[in-house]
Amino acid sequence: MRQLCIIITSIFVILLFSNSDIQALEKCQICHSKKEIHKAEETGRKIPLFIDESIIARSVHNDKDCTDCHADINEIPHTIVKKVNCRRCHYSGNPVGAPDGQMYDQYEHSVHGLAVIAGNKDAPVCQDCHGDHDVYSHKTIESKFYWQNIPKTCGTCHIEIYAIYRESTHGRAVADGIKDAPTCTDCHGEHNIKRHDNDESRVSSFRISETCTECHGTQGVVNKYNIKTDRAATFEHSFHGVGKQMGSKTVANCASCHDYHDIRGEDDPKSSVHPDNIPKTCGKEGCHPGASAEFSSGQQIHINPKSEESGIIYYISKGFLVLTVLVLIGLFAFIIMDLVRRAKNARAKR
Amino acid sequence: MSEKKKNLDKRASYIKGLSDNIVGSAVDIVKVKPTTQQIDELTKEVTERLQYESSSLLNESVTKLHPDSLSEMLPEEKVERNFERFGKNFRYQHMLMFVSIIILIITGMPLKFPEFDLSKFIVIDLLGGLSNSTFIHRIGAVGLIIVGIWHVIYTIGSKVGRRDFFLMVPNLKDAADFMGTMRYYIGKSKHGPKFDRFSFIEKFDYWAVYWGMVIMIGSGAIMWYKELFPKYFYDIGREMHSDEGLLATLSIVIWHFYNVHFNPEVFPMSWTWWHGQLTESEMKHHHPLEYEAIIKKESQEIIEQSDSKKAGDK
Repeated sequence: MRQLCIIITSIFVILLFSNSDIQALEKCQICHSKKEIHKAEETGRKIPLFIDESIIARSVHNDKDCTDCHADINEIPHTIVKKVNCRRCHYSGNPVGAPDGQMYDQYEHSVHGLAVIAGNKDAPVCQDCHGDHDVYSHKTIESKFYWQNIPKTCGTCHIEIYAIYRESTHGRAVADGIKDAPTCTDCHGEHNIKRHDNDESRVSSFRISETCTECHGTQGVVNKYNIKTDRAATFEHSFHGVGKQMGSKTVANCASCHDYHDIRGEDDPKSSVHPDNIPKTCGKEGCHPGASAEFSSGQQIHINPKSEESGIIYYISKGFLVLTVLVLIGLFAFIIMDLVRRAKNARAKR
Repeated sequence: MSEKKKNLDKRASYIKGLSDNIVGSAVDIVKVKPTTQQIDELTKEVTERLQYESSSLLNESVTKLHPDSLSEMLPEEKVERNFERFGKNFRYQHMLMFVSIIILIITGMPLKFPEFDLSKFIVIDLLGGLSNSTFIHRIGAVGLIIVGIWHVIYTIGSKVGRRDFFLMVPNLKDAADFMGTMRYYIGKSKHGPKFDRFSFIEKFDYWAVYWGMVIMIGSGAIMWYKELFPKYFYDIGREMHSDEGLLATLSIVIWHFYNVHFNPEVFPMSWTWWHGQLTESEMKHHHPLEYEAIIKKESQEIIEQSDSKKAGDK
């Protein structure tokens, strides 16, 4: 009886472990768990082929089999593996419950997707941003998409911009752990990143003020940090803002003055909007090259005529409002009285 | 009415006596078988006498009687006489001004209200973008500046300009006229006040435009050459330009359009801006004091002429 029990248990255990997943992982790991395993290219470059099992175990794909992604492999040992196509699972209506959405469509029309389609070998595909074996949930700190890691992930390719961004107000805030501060994707978008000269782009001259307004508008998060929230409204009121609304692409937008990656507070001497640097910023080629130093230094730029902070502008605006209302009341009263008198005269004549 | 008739009858009998007198003396002359030269002289004398008598009659009527009774005495089928209200120079100023202002309003208002679809339609679809619309706005601005300079030169340099400018200066009569108009409107008096060449309403219009021109051209020039000034100059200029632009537009559309377009008396439009004329009845109704002065002056001139002629003949 005891022997029978052992036999049944053994069979059960064998059956359990003969589950194909584990079997496959085990089979692959025969070779890929060896740290020294590598592919030697003709150029002499060695490409390591070691796969750390623990990475896969922590990834979102920890329940997947190697061949679920590397579907072109059906024998061991195998030759060259093709690039994995994530779309095998991530399509809408897939039976395994893989997340899906607009991202493929968006990606194919994005600057990155278009470059890939055009045959640019350096342009990023899914894995370049999301990782290959190390696709972690964006909530885990080691994820390429953990919010604080996004700049670094993008910086893998856009290294110069990353270096500038890291020093900017936004970059430093992100490094300091302020979660409301924007990383690359907050401004540029994710799968739908477009070239900045494309009108659809979130950072195009046409749309950038809306993008900045998401945080710097009245509904924005910057209120928490004592940053003024009327910047968007005052921009729209300014001649630059009016020009933007009239479809002009040459008028200044947020980034024209505040810079884009190198955005800094006005007290930072390196800032493009630091009082010392404003003449240079306003006097840019194509903007106001003849600007005098007085034109641009030491004054309010974002003017809100409805706010008392604007000083004389506020009083002029108020004064004209009162004058206009009084004049209109007077004129209308006069016209109405005149018409009434005429009507009475006409009736009297009849 | 009966008094008027009596008056007329009196006049008629007077003129009849006069003509009898002339005819009598003519018959006397004819009796002595005159030469052609003598007949010519006679004709001349009769004409002159008639002229003198009729002008003194006119003079008498104007000075002694109320001007209204003069017109009542005159035959009704008389062709209405026109009075020149605005000279050519002034009319050209007005034309350049309204063309400029229409351009300025069409290209300016959309920038004050950029959020409206109509504004976007005008600037983007109709004018082809902001750079075009601002360029056209500046053309209008140049037109307005030219009118401004032209008018100042006209005011200083021309006789009519100088006269009109001094007549434009507000005085106590305007305050009284305003009160009188109010009393007329609320039914406390039967007639409105009698206006001279420029009523207080017209004076208000004129000085409103003056103020508007100064503000709009001044602030516009600052914005045009913003780089030369501190930015708060530009900010002040822009605020004033924007606010005064709206005020001026509303004043023109409501007030000026009411007076010269939508007012039942002139609807759809008074053509004075084109031909510069007012009819005699318009003159009498709207500018009675000016009308009286003109008639008085003219009759005085006629009398002086005939007086000097008489003196010359003697």
